[in-house]
Amino acid sequence: MLSWIERFVSSSVGRKALMALTGLMLIGFLIAHLAGNLSLFAGDGGTAFDAYAHAISSLPILPIAEVALALLFLGHIYLAVKTTRENRRARPQGYSVTGTHGEKSFASKTMFPTGVVILAFLIKHLWDFRLQKEAFEEAPYASVQQALSDPLTASVYMLGILALGIHLSHAFGSALQSLGANHPKYTPALRAIGKVLAVALTLGFISIPIYFWLGGSSS
Amino acid sequence: MSSQFKLDSACPSGPIESRWDNHRFEMKQVNPANKRKFKILVVGTGLAGGSAAATLAELGYNVTSLCIQDSPRRAHSIAAQGGINAAKNYPNDGDSIYRLFYDTVKGGDFRARESNVYRLAQVSNNIIDQANAQGVPFAREYGGHLANRSFGGAQVSRTFYARGATGQQLLLGAYSAMNRQIHAGKIDMRTRREMLDLVTIDGVARGVICRNLITGELERYAADAVLLCTGGYGNVFYLSTNAKASNVTASWRAHKRGALFANPCFTQIHPTCIPVSGDHQSKLTLMSESLRNDGRIWTPKERDDGRPGDQVPEDERDYYLERRYPAFGNLVPRDVASRAAKERCDSGYGVGNSKQAVYLDFKDAIARDGEDAVRAKYGNLFHMYEKITDENPYQRPMRIFPAVHYTMGGLWVDYNLQSTIPGLFVLGEANFSDHGANRLGASALMQGLSDGYFVIPATVCGHLAGANLQPVTTSHEAFAAVEHEVREKTDKLLSIGGSRSVDSFHRELGLTMWDKCGMARSESGLREAVDKIRGIRESFWGDVRVLGESENLNQSLEKAGRVADFLEFAETFAVDALHRSESCGGHFREESQTEEGEALRDDENFCYAAAWEFQGVGNDSTLHKEDLSFDYVKLAQRSYK
Amino acid sequence: MTLNLRIWRQKDSHAEGAIESYELPGVSSDMSFLEMLDILNEQLIGKGEEPVSFDHDCREGVCGSCGAMVNGQVHGPDTETTLCQLHMRRFKDGDTLQVEPWRSAAFPVLKDLVVDRSSFDRIQQAGGYVSVATGSPPDANSVPIPKDDAEAAFDYAECIGCGGCVAACPNGAAMLFTAAKVAHLKKLPQGQPERERRVLSMVDTMDKEGFGACTNHYECTAACPKGVPIDAIATMNREYLRATFFSKEGV
Repeated sequence: MLSWIERFVSSSVGRKALMALTGLMLIGFLIAHLAGNLSLFAGDGGTAFDAYAHAISSLPILPIAEVALALLFLGHIYLAVKTTRENRRARPQGYSVTGTHGEKSFASKTMFPTGVVILAFLIKHLWDFRLQKEAFEEAPYASVQQALSDPLTASVYMLGILALGIHLSHAFGSALQSLGANHPKYTPALRAIGKVLAVALTLGFISIPIYFWLGGSSS
Repeated sequence: MSSQFKLDSACPSGPIESRWDNHRFEMKQVNPANKRKFKILVVGTGLAGGSAAATLAELGYNVTSLCIQDSPRRAHSIAAQGGINAAKNYPNDGDSIYRLFYDTVKGGDFRARESNVYRLAQVSNNIIDQANAQGVPFAREYGGHLANRSFGGAQVSRTFYARGATGQQLLLGAYSAMNRQIHAGKIDMRTRREMLDLVTIDGVARGVICRNLITGELERYAADAVLLCTGGYGNVFYLSTNAKASNVTASWRAHKRGALFANPCFTQIHPTCIPVSGDHQSKLTLMSESLRNDGRIWTPKERDDGRPGDQVPEDERDYYLERRYPAFGNLVPRDVASRAAKERCDSGYGVGNSKQAVYLDFKDAIARDGEDAVRAKYGNLFHMYEKITDENPYQRPMRIFPAVHYTMGGLWVDYNLQSTIPGLFVLGEANFSDHGANRLGASALMQGLSDGYFVIPATVCGHLAGANLQPVTTSHEAFAAVEHEVREKTDKLLSIGGSRSVDSFHRELGLTMWDKCGMARSESGLREAVDKIRGIRESFWGDVRVLGESENLNQSLEKAGRVADFLEFAETFAVDALHRSESCGGHFREESQTEEGEALRDDENFCYAAAWEFQGVGNDSTLHKEDLSFDYVKLAQRSYK
Repeated sequence: MTLNLRIWRQKDSHAEGAIESYELPGVSSDMSFLEMLDILNEQLIGKGEEPVSFDHDCREGVCGSCGAMVNGQVHGPDTETTLCQLHMRRFKDGDTLQVEPWRSAAFPVLKDLVVDRSSFDRIQQAGGYVSVATGSPPDANSVPIPKDDAEAAFDYAECIGCGGCVAACPNGAAMLFTAAKVAHLKKLPQGQPERERRVLSMVDTMDKEGFGACTNHYECTAACPKGVPIDAIATMNREYLRATFFSKEGV
């Protein structure tokens, strides 16, 4: 009998823990992703980035990692949709005036919408660099440069990354809370780290489209 | 009148220490397997009702529990702040069961039954153990052991507390014990139900009629024993520290069915309440007596001193309690402290806009212990004061005035807590039993829980095993008859269609009660009160306006029924106060005082509990006396000097 | 002062409700919010209209009966305040106050501002207790409890069950309410033997009653009249994970 697992995944607390866990893993992915992408700024006309891209694409476990990553995303999205739907059902009639005592934030209130924007951006991003795999693998740096020097694409990227930043500013602290990782000594620091991380990832990622939009190293 | 009642207190004899043990041994028992054949109805879910329902269900009885609120957790016991007494003697300051017993009898001004009070003191320690085991977060010392503080009327520290919310925590403890039994199916919990009458069959209590406050339906509940745990009647004064829904209806309707009402005039006026601010006032807020541990009470030495309290120099202040009662100082019992405040205000020394207030000052405590220490102890009370008055009590002395708080009187019960109607038991504030003419601070919680956790589980089986009860269902004609009467009364209230709201009558009654039956009472005033009460009652039944329907949630209708009962009950209250021409405890008759203005008891003529028998609305009730004897605590004029 | 009140009126749980407007003169700044409703009701009775129903009892902030949204804020604009403790000095002449009942699928409106919060009781019945029979416990001082733990337990135990956390939560979640009891008993040795059963059963019931899930807005703790700390929720989450993965419960 796996009744206890079923109970866990169907409970609100269990679902939130899984959402937190998948979210934290995705943050881990983002950190690694950004670290690799920073080689775009090497100023060597793309040599470093091309080498990095080739190294990644020749990893033997890449297919497995990609499937795992996809599952993380899909799991996170599924849990978000389910939770959001149940939360809407928990208040069928809303208030005619809404107010606050000051804790709920723009980010906390928009986790679902920012998530949708991020998803849209993700699809676009996958389309650009993953589904047109051959073009990308042939000349990774050049294809990034080409894509992002288009102002429209760069704008879409910036928008997506901003949504990601807003999403992340709530995500890290929230995930720790959902996992019950709380201690009066460390929680305030961890929450602050979460905010710093959100800002750092946002700045790190957003600098890429800005960089290429402004002409990149080729100018 | 010759009486069909012989007021038999059923008190066991023998040495006081072993009376409760002997009594329990001699009582008929119900074997565990048979307990599930009995149904017990518990009305009210405060400390007494909650603890009784939980414990009886644990023992195996089928319990149905009714409460007026939307949840059993909201009963008014929840508002008790300061603490609960027990004779643990953890501080090693000389406390003992005997001392708690002695203090309570003396504090009650020798108008309580010694046997009951001794039992209360005996089980007090079990209550602390029980609550602690439930997870009640009592205050603790750094070593992890329970902390105590001092309360009025005692020179030892025996009060256990959970910050300023001891009643809440103890009630939630009882509520949690109930929840366990509800979950187990042993308690059938019915919320938003108001008991509107008692059903007796062959003179034995066999059920109640309730109104479902949501649907308005009248419901019948049959049982083998009925427990009234419905609290006190302080709201007969309209303004009191009681919750708005606190009422006398359940007790009063039981009284009309034959249960004697004892000492209705014994009312406790609590000295440390926030003064009235205007005509809109709907209730009064008490601040725990624990404030008197560190706060000093004073008025200016000059009459009509208009300066703000913090600007009156030290040598122009009269710390009148410390002056008059050097031994107990600010910790004299409540009745003494309240009367002293009234005396100051009546003599023109009152402060604030209304001049109906005295100061409670923490200046010295803050200078001695620091503001943080004071905040840690009393922060929530100061916060509450500031919210209501918009004044900062850390900077300015608080204004306080006495307010009606607790009623020592109630339905007469014997040692088994059984009323004069067999099968009808009365617990907690609703009965008259343990506090005599004045209750000491932190003793109400003790009594409620003592009655519910420890006394009633032992005594109810005496009735169940001995009464040879025939099975009864709600289809018995007695239920139909009583339900019919209740319906008629409800319909009548809705049909009057007069011009005045229920509240306006309640306020009018309250003013009369406070004026004539409040902190000081006189023969002429009480006579006037009786007339006035009759007048208000008459105009109520001719001119009240109750809107809405009976088949729906109708708060006006609920209030109307309660005020109608208060208007009948108030007369009995005044008559009791009139007949007792002595002063004792909270009952101060102006005709009976010492030269120094202290209450003067008359043991020669009034050493009894006055139990009144209903003879019809507007007719004189019949007085029955239960003589009180004091074999252990010798009768003496109380002195706290 | 004179106020413009816009109050939700609903005849019973089946009826459609609507916001009704009332102008109320003669409001004193010393009145509590409920006393202001009292005088509105007196005015309505005078006019032959049915008064506004609202739950209230102790009127000193501890019974948890009262509560309403005032301009979208739980128990009004103040912090650590119940509706009965809110005073009219907080408002000024001519203000418009929108007064609505708690909104939650698990708190159906019964009439006007009165809602049915029995779902809260059912959550407590599912495990919010220590199973100890009357008369059986040992001496209260036999197990010392660190002062800080007792104080922290009190902070959680102070919950008055008003439902404000649910009303404030954008998701209509009852996490703070449920967690307050779990965290209270978790802090004390008395709560240990049943800690796994308790948290699993209480969360199950909370979900079944139709409350939402926590997404960590922390609005509940900000709106809580007793300031029940938000770490209660983290504690409950941790207890839930612990009970799920490290106990025999549910095998």
